[in-house]
Amino acid sequence: MANDILQIRSVAKSFGMLQVLKDVSFNVGKGEIVGLLGPNGSGKSTLLSVISGFQPASGGSVLFAGQEMTGLPAHKVAQHGLMRTFQLPSMPHRMTPRELIAAGERVPFSLGAVLGRVVDRDGRVAAVIDRFALGPVADIPASALSGGQKKLLSIAVALQGRPQLLCLDEPTAGVHPQLRTRMVQILREVAASGVTILIVEHDMHFVRGLCDRCVVLDSGGIIADCHPEALTENERVVEAYLGKAKRMEVVA
Amino acid sequence: MSDFLIHVCIMASLYSVVALSLNLQVGIAGLVNFGQIILFGAGAYGAALAFSNHMGLWAAFAAGIVMASAVALLFARLGRDLGGDYWGIATLAVAEACRILLREFDGVTGGAQGISGLTPLFGSLDRRNAALATLVTCLLLLSVVFWLCQRLTRSRYGLALKILREEPLLAASLGYSPIALRTQVLVMSGCIAAIGGVIFAHYVSFVGPDQLVAAETFLIWAMVVVGGAGNSLGVVVGAFLLQFLFAFVPFAKDLLGLSSDYVAALRLTLVGGGLLTFLLWRPQGLIPERIGGVIHGK
Repeated sequence: MANDILQIRSVAKSFGMLQVLKDVSFNVGKGEIVGLLGPNGSGKSTLLSVISGFQPASGGSVLFAGQEMTGLPAHKVAQHGLMRTFQLPSMPHRMTPRELIAAGERVPFSLGAVLGRVVDRDGRVAAVIDRFALGPVADIPASALSGGQKKLLSIAVALQGRPQLLCLDEPTAGVHPQLRTRMVQILREVAASGVTILIVEHDMHFVRGLCDRCVVLDSGGIIADCHPEALTENERVVEAYLGKAKRMEVVA
Repeated sequence: MSDFLIHVCIMASLYSVVALSLNLQVGIAGLVNFGQIILFGAGAYGAALAFSNHMGLWAAFAAGIVMASAVALLFARLGRDLGGDYWGIATLAVAEACRILLREFDGVTGGAQGISGLTPLFGSLDRRNAALATLVTCLLLLSVVFWLCQRLTRSRYGLALKILREEPLLAASLGYSPIALRTQVLVMSGCIAAIGGVIFAHYVSFVGPDQLVAAETFLIWAMVVVGGAGNSLGVVVGAFLLQFLFAFVPFAKDLLGLSSDYVAALRLTLVGGGLLTFLLWRPQGLIPERIGGVIHGK
């Protein structure tokens, strides 16, 4: 479809003998919020790494905005507007969130970039800090932030690069419920501004509240692609998450 | 000002320049380079080769910068395939290999004897004024390099280098090319070290492979670590401190009644001991890097 910003075609990935992804194909429409679900080890994070260029695919291809991303290094993929965050965001000890947010707004290599001072003249960096409620920790070492704050910071920094597609790897894991509400609100705003979002997530409540669509992986293959509400009625999904024995109880 | 003090100040200024160049890699971009001395050596040999081919000072700078850039590019190329610590070992190996090549190609480089008799800077002045003029030149060079490093570390580009220093994956995820950043910083650092090398060669009017031994790299490292990696002022303080301590080793030897054989050993002990002491007890150095110094809140 012309409206599909991301096209994943028969993507496969193996680590030696272990095949983590086999023949994964799906599209993501422009402006959609898609949840990528699946039990541990189903290949979600690997798929995210392949899409964002951090892992080379063993087969298949990834098209972003009509352009071939397969084989491009991660920074090139990011420059095209496909950006990602990490499951366990590791932040520098010797930089502050304020500096990281300023650095997220990438400018090309030039004399000005090498010698020009970084000044937040129009208050854009300060506005981002407020929006993500990072004010109290904006000027301490980024590594000292809590897990949840690091997740928020990594989204804030990635958004500075003005992505068209933002891939988030478990953004709510370890995040305080209050911050989680804040994150849902921010992600809705981000989506409303035209950014497409692909989220790897375990929290079903979060997924139901945010996603338009869910793609479920199990053992490296897609077992469902449906509306979040339809997930609990999907036998294969329930089986993958809870095992065969439990299926009857849940359905009942 | 005594001639000896002028000499120590000149050497301290030149070493400060080289230490600042290493700091761009180690302190700012997180590149553990153990071969920095060869980039300085590229400048020194550039000057020597320009001199032995009867060319002027500009040719010396050009040759030094070209050779240093070539070595820096080689270092950067190795960095594509080797991770942090292994890359550090590789830079040491490259630097040693280059030194041995310089020693063996005696037709061009003068071999182990090196090339001597380089025209001193400000040769038209009398000895004392020439030394003073050299000191002023070195201090000017140091000021320019210091200013450049300060601007660079406080720039947007400096922020990208600092992300690369600790979190290269994060840098890549934001669209910064780790390979490009490493290559750029290596070449910039190489050019600065080479300019220091050219001035050094003309000041001591002799260039030889023994000036480029690995121990020299560790002396520069000690200046960065003792002063404060990531802080330009700290690095200059470290360079001056160690140069002055070095200069007073012979006096200390006399005071302690030791033979001259101990001078070199005492200097090595200072470098090793200084490195060890600071790495163990004050890894941030005398003047630590200021975290959050690039952009502040209101």
